[in-house]
Amino acid sequence: MPILPILQFPDPRLKEKSDPVAVVSDEVYSFVDDLLETMRASPGCVGIAAPQVGVSRRIVAVDVSGHRRGSQEENHGLLVLVNPEILAMGGKQLVREGCMSVPDYTANVQRAQWVLVDALDREGKQIILEAIGFEAVAIQHEVDHLDGYLFLDRVSSIKTDLFRRKRFR
Amino acid sequence: MGSYLSPLRGKGDCGMAHFSVSVMGKDRPGIVAEVSRVLYELGFNIEDSTCTILSGQFAMILVVFHETLQAVGEVSPSFEEVRQKMGLLVTVHPLKAEEVVHEKSFAGHPHIISVYGADRPGIVYSVARELAQRKVNITDLNTQVVGSKDRPVYVMVLEVDIPESVDRKELDGVFDRIKKELGVSISVRPIETLEL
Repeated sequence: MPILPILQFPDPRLKEKSDPVAVVSDEVYSFVDDLLETMRASPGCVGIAAPQVGVSRRIVAVDVSGHRRGSQEENHGLLVLVNPEILAMGGKQLVREGCMSVPDYTANVQRAQWVLVDALDREGKQIILEAIGFEAVAIQHEVDHLDGYLFLDRVSSIKTDLFRRKRFR
Repeated sequence: MGSYLSPLRGKGDCGMAHFSVSVMGKDRPGIVAEVSRVLYELGFNIEDSTCTILSGQFAMILVVFHETLQAVGEVSPSFEEVRQKMGLLVTVHPLKAEEVVHEKSFAGHPHIISVYGADRPGIVYSVARELAQRKVNITDLNTQVVGSKDRPVYVMVLEVDIPESVDRKELDGVFDRIKKELGVSISVRPIETLEL
């Protein structure tokens, strides 16, 4: 189970739309293992999408249960979503997001407070779930990756909402 | 022996020299163009840069590197024309390889400290002194005076990294004392970044 290398902006593969998964095969199952291992290898990381490791397929993972604020809100723990589709969203929240594929910046991004998601789980079973708060943000961020969007595409003002990471060794 | 060593040294890791270049002066169009032209003509790479304008004063700092140029004396005089023509202060400072840091770490907990109150001397110092004593690193600082002429309000927003070792209760106590002494409001909030 290797830790996969993360593509970084401006790699053009991050801007592509990923392909749906036709069958949740054993191969998909074992790829998810690598994806999760890669997510967990990055400190504080609460989500990952397949295109971030150069795999153009609609697979994401999210787990906010280890996050300081996320853990205090209602959440599903580890979520693996195959072919996720956001059916509905509501409310607004402004959240500071960072991304392994855009390592030098963080940004305030406006996201929905609540989402309703249709997806397959890693066994290929259809699930419909609701998510709120940070978990909802993580899902929106990862689903964006599947459509070739980065948080940079969601920032409304570079002047006030985009922050260069300043914390060095 | 030195004559044998020096060409080797030039080819190794030490061959690439980093400098910081700081530029300051009255803001006007063309400063970035002129400074970057000089760097380009000398064959520099701009690795990192940022700029700001405060009360009409433009300030920029760049970290640049060059494959062969090693000495400040080979770089700084090239800015003379820009200094004269645009009335700028341009300072070139050599950086040791180990001073140029790229790796990020999240050792401390990032927080925003906002302070505001009636304008009076010592607000920045009172807060910064206490932070320094506790090894809290300030990574960003913005201050401005807002409000009306007769009722100016001083606003300071700091981004800081609070190390694990800091006793938050004790720090809050100190801030409570400063609040009373200076009549300001101080709040400390964690920056909750969602790492995705």
